[in-house]
Amino acid sequence: MFLSHLSARVWLILRCSFLLAMLTTIQLSVFAGSSATESKSGVNTLIAPQQVKVSGTITDATTGEGLAGVNVVLEGSTIGVMTDKNGKYSLGVPNLSGALKISCIGYTTQTVPINGMTVIDIALTAEVQALVEVVVTGYGTVRKSDVTGSVSSIKTEQLLQLPTQRVDQAIQGRATGVFILNTDGSPGGNTLIRIRGNNSINGGNDPLIIVDGLQGANINQLNPNDIASMEILKDASATAIYGSRGANGVILISTKLGKLGKPVIDAGYSVGIQNLARKLPVMDAASFAKYNNFYQSFQTQGGQTPKYYFTDADIAYYEKNGGTDWQDEIYKTGVMQNANLAISGATDRLKYMVSTAYLDHKGILLASSYNRLSLRANLAADITKWVDFGLNYSYTSEKYKSPPFNSDQGDVLFQPINDAVRWAPTEPVYDANGNYWRHRPGYGAYDTWNPVATALETKIENPTFQNNINLFLNFKPMKGLSLKIMGGGTFSNAYNSKYENTKTRNGFAMNGVGTINNSFYNMYQNTNILTYDNTFGVHHITFTGVVEDIFSTSTGSSMRGQDFLVDQLGTDNMDGAKSVSVDSWRSKRALVSFMGRINYGLFDKYLITLSYRADGSSVFGENNKWGYFPSGSLAWRISQENFLKDSPVVSDLKLRVSYGITGNQAIGPYGSLARLGSWFRYPYNNGSNLDIGFGISDIANPNLKWESTSQSDIGIDVSLFKGRFTSTIDVYRKVTKDLLMPRQLPGYVGVSSVIDNIGSIENKGIEILIGGDPFFGKFRWNTSFNITINRNKVLDLGPGVDRIGYTPTSGGYNLGSDYMFLEVGQSFGLMRGWKYLGLWRADEDAEARSYGQLPGDPKYADISGPNGVPDGQVDGLDKTTIGHGYPKFTYGWTNLFTYKNIELSFLITGSYGNDLFNTLRIRRETYEATDPKVWNYWTPTNQNTDVPALYDGKYVEDQLLVNKYIFKNSGGATSRWVEDASFVRLKTITLAYNFEPDLLKKIGFSKARLYFTGTNLLTLTKYTGYDPEIAAYPGNDATIGVDLSVYPTARMYTFGVDFTF
Amino acid sequence: MNRKISNILILVMLSGVLLLLTARCTKLVEKPTDFVGPNNFYNSPSQIESAFTASMDNLFGGWTFYDWYRYPEIFDMDDQVYEGDLVIGDGLGNDCWSKHYQSIADINPAIKAINDGKLTGSSQEVKDQLMAQAKFLRAWNYFMLVRYYGDVPLILENTNLVTGEITRTPIAQVYEQIVNDLLFATQNLPVTWPAEGRARPAADAAKTLLAKVYITMATAPLNDASNYVKARDMAKQVMDAGNYSLVPNVEDVFKLESEFGTEFMWSFHNSQEEYVIEPQIWLPGEMAGGWGDVKTERRWGEAYPEEPRKHAYLLLSDVIYGGGTTYLDWWGNCPYVRKYLYDTPENLIKNVSYECFPIIRYADALLLFAEAENMVSGPTQAACDAVNQIVNRATGGVPNAADPLFTTSMSKQEFDDAVIQQRNLELCFEYDRWFDIQRKRILDKVCDPIYLQNFSQDDYLLPIPQKDLRLNKLLTQNPGYTNPNGK
Repeated sequence: MFLSHLSARVWLILRCSFLLAMLTTIQLSVFAGSSATESKSGVNTLIAPQQVKVSGTITDATTGEGLAGVNVVLEGSTIGVMTDKNGKYSLGVPNLSGALKISCIGYTTQTVPINGMTVIDIALTAEVQALVEVVVTGYGTVRKSDVTGSVSSIKTEQLLQLPTQRVDQAIQGRATGVFILNTDGSPGGNTLIRIRGNNSINGGNDPLIIVDGLQGANINQLNPNDIASMEILKDASATAIYGSRGANGVILISTKLGKLGKPVIDAGYSVGIQNLARKLPVMDAASFAKYNNFYQSFQTQGGQTPKYYFTDADIAYYEKNGGTDWQDEIYKTGVMQNANLAISGATDRLKYMVSTAYLDHKGILLASSYNRLSLRANLAADITKWVDFGLNYSYTSEKYKSPPFNSDQGDVLFQPINDAVRWAPTEPVYDANGNYWRHRPGYGAYDTWNPVATALETKIENPTFQNNINLFLNFKPMKGLSLKIMGGGTFSNAYNSKYENTKTRNGFAMNGVGTINNSFYNMYQNTNILTYDNTFGVHHITFTGVVEDIFSTSTGSSMRGQDFLVDQLGTDNMDGAKSVSVDSWRSKRALVSFMGRINYGLFDKYLITLSYRADGSSVFGENNKWGYFPSGSLAWRISQENFLKDSPVVSDLKLRVSYGITGNQAIGPYGSLARLGSWFRYPYNNGSNLDIGFGISDIANPNLKWESTSQSDIGIDVSLFKGRFTSTIDVYRKVTKDLLMPRQLPGYVGVSSVIDNIGSIENKGIEILIGGDPFFGKFRWNTSFNITINRNKVLDLGPGVDRIGYTPTSGGYNLGSDYMFLEVGQSFGLMRGWKYLGLWRADEDAEARSYGQLPGDPKYADISGPNGVPDGQVDGLDKTTIGHGYPKFTYGWTNLFTYKNIELSFLITGSYGNDLFNTLRIRRETYEATDPKVWNYWTPTNQNTDVPALYDGKYVEDQLLVNKYIFKNSGGATSRWVEDASFVRLKTITLAYNFEPDLLKKIGFSKARLYFTGTNLLTLTKYTGYDPEIAAYPGNDATIGVDLSVYPTARMYTFGVDFTF
Repeated sequence: MNRKISNILILVMLSGVLLLLTARCTKLVEKPTDFVGPNNFYNSPSQIESAFTASMDNLFGGWTFYDWYRYPEIFDMDDQVYEGDLVIGDGLGNDCWSKHYQSIADINPAIKAINDGKLTGSSQEVKDQLMAQAKFLRAWNYFMLVRYYGDVPLILENTNLVTGEITRTPIAQVYEQIVNDLLFATQNLPVTWPAEGRARPAADAAKTLLAKVYITMATAPLNDASNYVKARDMAKQVMDAGNYSLVPNVEDVFKLESEFGTEFMWSFHNSQEEYVIEPQIWLPGEMAGGWGDVKTERRWGEAYPEEPRKHAYLLLSDVIYGGGTTYLDWWGNCPYVRKYLYDTPENLIKNVSYECFPIIRYADALLLFAEAENMVSGPTQAACDAVNQIVNRATGGVPNAADPLFTTSMSKQEFDDAVIQQRNLELCFEYDRWFDIQRKRILDKVCDPIYLQNFSQDDYLLPIPQKDLRLNKLLTQNPGYTNPNGK
């Protein structure tokens, strides 16, 4: 076939242009049509002679007020008129027979026989659209009552109750089954969204996010004010229609369109003040100096003379003048401002919404900021009765600046957040000449750099631009049948630059070092949806067929320069660097899909949904390009049965059951092919200049295929007393098999692993949502509580592997070998190491000595030896589970109280049963201690403490102890640093005032609202780090639970106003 | 109007059909443009050389050999490195195993490509020189492996090993391959390379390495004494050729300008283009923010004879920054290693250093000759002269009772013990001591007596990695370590 000779991309472009051409044609016909209408109405306002006059008033049936602009037409003729501003009309007709057709946007059209009357007053009733609540599902919508799958819906009103400028945070605590983890608290920082647990190890666990039908959106780039509704699809019945992309759940977002009536302008502004929510305790300079001397006084081993770094005069000076509080130096008050403006409206043929928003956020850490400009234009037009057309366009530009604070920004040990609580308070920020102070050697933390210098002199700037364009044509050739052709794309560009000048640690070593990463991402999507929806007596049937094609390319280049002649130019002048290395890449991926779905309802009581999808993906091995994803679900609306139909108690009761298979294709392109890496660099030839090495990096796997997740779900929806009490409960079990994982290879192969389909994971859980309006009336209370219990278990990790270990830290923590694990039979986030039992007590002297320890030294559990019994030695065989990174359950409780014009709402979120590995403590509480608690060291008279004893070095030597704690270089991997990170948090609380509509009308407003919001005001937790809710994300879900001193969360007070006019 | 609509409808139907067709025709076949696979590579001399570069890069990272956090942990077991407690876990040295095999996996396809005639446009000489380098590198990798692990899988062609289970090849057979590869290298490597290739191994490096291979074969575990003659002759060839000589002043052995001088024959290099090393691992915490990762066993450091060499090779006080501290003030009260701290203090304080780590140097050739000559013919004058070149340089020519000159009046055993001790002093912290301890079976004699309780004869070999044992049931474990397969 000749078609096959053209590349996929050419075809896609051809098809997109075809679509565009069609749209243009149809747009032209819209204009043609509208001009015809105008001329028609122009003729019809004339009153011909020898006619009878009919007049009257058209009113709103509810308010009784006159309605302006109502069309009054003599049926079957071109004679017509519009009502005036008081709703009055007068129309000349040939005679007093016939009928008047009265129509107005937003009202039900009425036809009234004239019957000889000359005065006809008519009250129009508003068109009831909202009666049937509709839920957006994949490739369509269904009535809420007909949903057979597990779907959480969040409406725009709920989003606005607790203002946030981030969509991901708006979901937090409100939807069951959704676990949101803040991986850092920086402006524009990251969150992880996990729906019903972790299904994959390497394939990615991010849900698929779809905005107005366009797949793969970035949720952080959305302006929350644009959102009309959000649906979170959780079970297989809801997600299987997304086949290979559905395994991690799907978030469907619909953006707003105008409502009928005159244009509405919505404007809002808010400003928030942020502060560090919690400061870690640090010794003051005098105390630090004293402790240092005190600590040194014990260093007498080998006949060493203690060396005191601080003289009495020094200490007296610090006592008088204080020192540096490094947390105060690097954390400042942050300010977040947001302004948004939207204009929306609709006529009978055209709906539109245009919005813009600007977010400007200066974070609490020095030199960190984020700003985002969003623009959106949504348009929907009926071209003819048969065809409508729509356009969604959005543009986002973001700019992110920050000092380094994550392990992907280099070693955390040298980053300001880590160093601020480790640098000696005795050190000043600047020297006498105004240069950054360098830590004096010999005491205190050595692997550090001046935190203020790192913060101010490292320039990390990541601007990104993204355009999303989405066009559709919807043909409705006959009742119930529609064909929607959608074409669109995402076009984005990121320019990430980092420059460390000579005042930073790396810049100092390399005389300035900088990197630029420039990347482009283009995604084209064409979706064609054929829908047939009809009711035949008691049968309601909907058929959906989809053909979809997604094609994306990713290209980019990076540069790294070092040794800059002019330090202040940095990465803007890369050719000013003496040594530059470059890289570039390009990859493509394609996905072709066919999908069919049938929804069948009998008597509105028995509902069934069946779907089947076939996906062909380029990224898999040549033998396994296609994957198939079926699903089915049943629902029984018990409340429609005769015995409940008229129940005053039960308003709605529905039982749902579903089963289906979804997939995960989230591996990079070319993962099944053999590869030579070209990144090896070594001065092989002459010892001075680097040579390029090409080395074996990957071996081929032509059988590579999809991860597949089978999920079963049983759910129940209850609504009592007309919605006073509602509840949804779901129980599910998901099993993912054929995980895309590196299959370990023997070391002699030369490549450590090959990506393969091995291993299996189970997630099962219960989600409970209880809500309702306990009080309704003048004082209204709307509340909703949800709890999500997910149990995750690794079932299999492939042949010969029962454990995979990770070391998320680099050096400096005495964590030289793996301490985070995936283990068969255990959950993700498993921490393994030695169990800390407190300190040896004074009365345990003999036992302590048998381990080479003394009373007051840390005591670790001797669990096992080579023969399976304790062997008097604590070594690798004594490692055990010391913590779990994932919670047993998470919960959220939202409340809205309304009294007259005042609203009070708050959200409480919490997590129970998860641990955090608090790496920061390892250094803060040992030899270079800055934590004041170290003064509370163990002595025979102070045994009730967690701080080990200090012993004279010579004394210890003389005891001739033989150390039986064989930790090698991983002595940090003990439960001593693992803390319970359960928490309850008052996430947000908002007090709002809505002004009286009557008052506002006088000044031309229709709505005005003032609010104050407090965020993170109160947290109850035992965790001693900055924030129990925050965890660094070192690139793998298995390592969640390690706190690597990431950007701490802020407490924020926001004041805002919203207007509508 | 209706006509128009029906036209549109027809168009839509047509486009639907088109979409279905094109969707099916969309290519799901991947054709990457930003990397190559092994099948379309190794077609030119420079592509072959890039495989050598990759193979070396696998073994040498920023900090030190094998890119390890500490001076190779496996050498913790020798008597030089602090706290060599002889507690050897099943994981010790696992990285070492995989890194050498990774290196071999980069070299083997290059050898195969040359054998398959993929280098069509190159002269036989060019091909032979490339082959000689490849075989030199492969031999050196296997020489390291066979000494660490004993019997090892001998992989000479990296075909589809993923499914194939293989067994460990006996030590003697591995050595046979090493000798064959090195013989080819000694015959085909040039005597010197032009300046643009000066860091590549040359013929004398191959000969010295071969001499070391022979002397290792002559000692434990093979104990085939017939190899002493071969070792001596090979080392003698290097000495007689006169291409290399000792750097006259011991202070200058480890200096930037010595990297390509008369003594270093083949080394790991740090490029001066790229910041690759953190010399802080060699510095005590009391100096310039050192990390103190590698320090000497105090007992060993203090026993080092007092002579100029001690101060050149060991760090006994802050001679670099002149801070006035001595090693007794340092944490652990032990001397540190100075060999790799010869870059400028300015660079060191910036965490940058460009020094190289010698793998083969001329001093080794002299010591190998002396040891082998003594074993073949007793302490001859030639043997004494060779080793005395080193002693004289160490003492600055000043007679030193703690480090006396070798004489022909020594007994064969005395001479042998002394030459091994001389290797201990001269080649300290050059990744060599452990192999002497191992081939002479003297671990129990040299280790700190307090660790003797942990000693066993099994300590001379490292454990085969657990991962390999799990994934290949045909592999056996070395004695004294656990086998996940229960054998």
